[in-house]
Amino acid sequence: MSILDKLGNDKTLSSQIENVSRRNFIKASGVATGGLVLGIAIPSKAMAFGGESKAAFNPNAFIHLQENGDLLLYCGRCEMGQGISTALPAAVADEMEADWSRVTVEQGDADEKYGPQGTGGSASIRVMFEPMREAGAAAKIMLVAAAAKVWGISSEECEAKKHFVYNNATGKKLSFGQLASLAASQPIPEKPQLKQKSDYNYIGKALPRHDQSQVVVGQRIYGVDTKMPGLKYAAITHCPVLGGKLKSFDKTAAIAMKGVIDVIAIDPLALPFGSIGGVAVVADNTWTAQQALKQVKIEWDLGENVTYDTVAYKQQLVKNVENPAEIATERGDLKAAFANASQTLKATYTGGHLSHSPMEPNASVVFVEKDKCEVWAATQAPAAIQDVLGKYLKREPKDIIVHVTMAGGAFGRKFKCDYVHEAAVLSEKLGVPIQLTWSREEDMRTGYYHSISAQHIEASLDEQGAVTGWLHRTAFPPIGSLFNPATVKPSKGDVSAVDNYPFGLPNFRSEIGEAKAHTRIGWYRAVYAIFYGFSFSSFADELAYKAGKDPLTFLHQLYDANNIDEQKEQVSRSKNALEIAAKQSGWYERDNLPKGQGIGLAVHYSFQSYVAMAVRVESDGENIKVLQVDCVIDCGQVLNKDGATAQMEGAVVMGMSLALSTEITFREGAVVNSNFHNYPVMRTSDMPHVNVHIVESEHKPTGLGEPGVAPFAPALSNAVFAASGKRYRDIPFKPMSV
Amino acid sequence: MDKSITINGKQYAIDVDNDMPLLWFLRDRLEKTGTKFGCGAGLCGACTVHVDGVATRACITPVGMLADKVITTIEGLSEEGDHPLQKAWLNNNVPQCGYCQAGQIMNAASFLATNPTPSADEIDNAMQGNICRCGTYQRIKKAIGEAAFELAKEVS
Repeated sequence: MSILDKLGNDKTLSSQIENVSRRNFIKASGVATGGLVLGIAIPSKAMAFGGESKAAFNPNAFIHLQENGDLLLYCGRCEMGQGISTALPAAVADEMEADWSRVTVEQGDADEKYGPQGTGGSASIRVMFEPMREAGAAAKIMLVAAAAKVWGISSEECEAKKHFVYNNATGKKLSFGQLASLAASQPIPEKPQLKQKSDYNYIGKALPRHDQSQVVVGQRIYGVDTKMPGLKYAAITHCPVLGGKLKSFDKTAAIAMKGVIDVIAIDPLALPFGSIGGVAVVADNTWTAQQALKQVKIEWDLGENVTYDTVAYKQQLVKNVENPAEIATERGDLKAAFANASQTLKATYTGGHLSHSPMEPNASVVFVEKDKCEVWAATQAPAAIQDVLGKYLKREPKDIIVHVTMAGGAFGRKFKCDYVHEAAVLSEKLGVPIQLTWSREEDMRTGYYHSISAQHIEASLDEQGAVTGWLHRTAFPPIGSLFNPATVKPSKGDVSAVDNYPFGLPNFRSEIGEAKAHTRIGWYRAVYAIFYGFSFSSFADELAYKAGKDPLTFLHQLYDANNIDEQKEQVSRSKNALEIAAKQSGWYERDNLPKGQGIGLAVHYSFQSYVAMAVRVESDGENIKVLQVDCVIDCGQVLNKDGATAQMEGAVVMGMSLALSTEITFREGAVVNSNFHNYPVMRTSDMPHVNVHIVESEHKPTGLGEPGVAPFAPALSNAVFAASGKRYRDIPFKPMSV
Repeated sequence: MDKSITINGKQYAIDVDNDMPLLWFLRDRLEKTGTKFGCGAGLCGACTVHVDGVATRACITPVGMLADKVITTIEGLSEEGDHPLQKAWLNNNVPQCGYCQAGQIMNAASFLATNPTPSADEIDNAMQGNICRCGTYQRIKKAIGEAAFELAKEVS
């Protein structure tokens, strides 16, 4: 099974509770399409029989109830600030009728028993909401059965409430702790009944994060924080150009420094998530390692990507999309639409590479011993670490013990584990535990970058100003290039979001332009939705002005023109989110805004969720001050309202950084940016007032971590145009020259 | 007698190279990991501590310069984690990943000590050097405002 498969395909995920064995058991099997069929089986008593838990009641991998009533809940998905280690345990606690104040949350190590742990694609709640609820509901049923047994009555005559089970007839109660041991021997329910929405205690409320009190006193442990006896510290520098090789290095001066233990070359690992190769110094402390690394004289053979220059490359991409390219999808008769057009419009949108730059740079601790390998790391993909280290060390992946720490931000970067592989190389060579901490400069220069991109759209309008034809050409080095270096352009799957955009576009053609990758491309929060959202929502706004229509009315008409049955829901939910954003932002009263202010709208469907934004700016076309953002999210049922609000606030800030200022520039094959002075992310004075509006919904929960990013840049672009008449089509709008 | 430094009320010998930044003395020598490494160049504020009460970037401050100085880190800001800023951070559920928040809180604490009744613009100016990549700025500002209010009550 490939690493990609381990992302998990929730479409095929089924969850059932069955007593298949006396051990916790997760069955995962790859299927021909590359998807993942996964059945989560949560057998009762498993751990108790396996002797792996001291808990009195341990009905499945997630729940450990002590006889004193303390409840330990495990989170299998990785926590990087998105709040998943609160949200999922809260779902368990809710169905279990547990008292949240008695809950402690632990992060699960890499283990199949937790289900798919690869945390990306805004999928955690989508994938795990029901299994977590079922895990909690099963435990509750067993606790109730235990109480019924004590009282010699039926379960129907009992009720669980806030860590107790009550005898409905007598009012007597037994605590969960008192019942724990007896519950462990109760039969496992086949298909536990889940609660009605109206009965939720925690789900759908604004729940504080479980770990905040640790954070504010500096006690939360991140990947960079692991300490242990005998630990040695490493710093690393990488080949600046992808595909380059180490020619030679002279370690004389470095090794002579006090506290330096060794200087070690790390070979590239021919795996997409492994190291690209570099030179590392191991020392008594990180600072000494960093200083000594500067003394190592290194010569690189830079290889063919040394010609990579993002300014020239972007121009090439523009050419590639402004000329005919490979046809991906065609509907209707585009040629006739243009032949009969009353007006036509075309525009090209571009965007640069982005570095995730989480505040915690890549870091890990690895201890490779003869018969044991242990890892402590912030990661989004524990199984990928097992895969990569298993291959490197020629051991079984399951024998690689991965302790998942809190991640100090990740945004897609920590799905890759080059920084863990490198620590493993050093530990294996030196026989000691190694803490490797990348410098900020290495983190910024050795990334898996968001794609540089160009998109060209041409549209035809009829006499009424309705869109009759839409040609959409796109070119960007795709993530697929990471897995198959022969890739020279996006796949049809990569452009499916263009083909299925929920506007009504009966005469439509999408085309794919060439875009060979010259650096590693990776998932960056919101991924391709960043440039798809930008091009669709910007161009729709441009078309509205061309047609002489109000932008909101024009957008509604574009959606209303969609008569594809399967997209009815997308149309109505997009329109609803858009309308709320417009109303909340003062769109209808925008004529009253002071001169120089404007409001821009955008809505984008991604990760199965709908986010609309109304951005109000003050701008003369050159200076841009974002004043207010009204953000509307429709992601179905919301598990934690405060968490959802926080995700939207954060998405606005990340959207602002990428729309206004952040861009990774390559020159002579290497990244020019080095630290936050020339990769200027948003700071506090840039922060607009953000209002988050959550759509009440009965739909199943969908993505939340990423969908908020995409609509910001186009809404901002549209706002600046409304305020000043200046149209920005290249993100970031205000790149710093580096 | 070797040079020494006081950190969170306890005295430590400065038994490393004088040039070692305080950040790495804290993190690797003393294994106090609450103070975070973010940029190594004084650009992000994640490593902010107090030196004699003044917010200082530990990643660019050589420990040898700090002989006889009094250092406070996030672990020592309050006895029980109940500094008004810490309480306001909890009230507002500020942290997302939380990595930058020690630096944010330490910077804000030093700022409020000199300006107990700040305006919104003054908060912006004071906090401009502290980056939060998760984007918690709106909550940070609100929390600082609330903490200032609480501190003012304590004083009066």
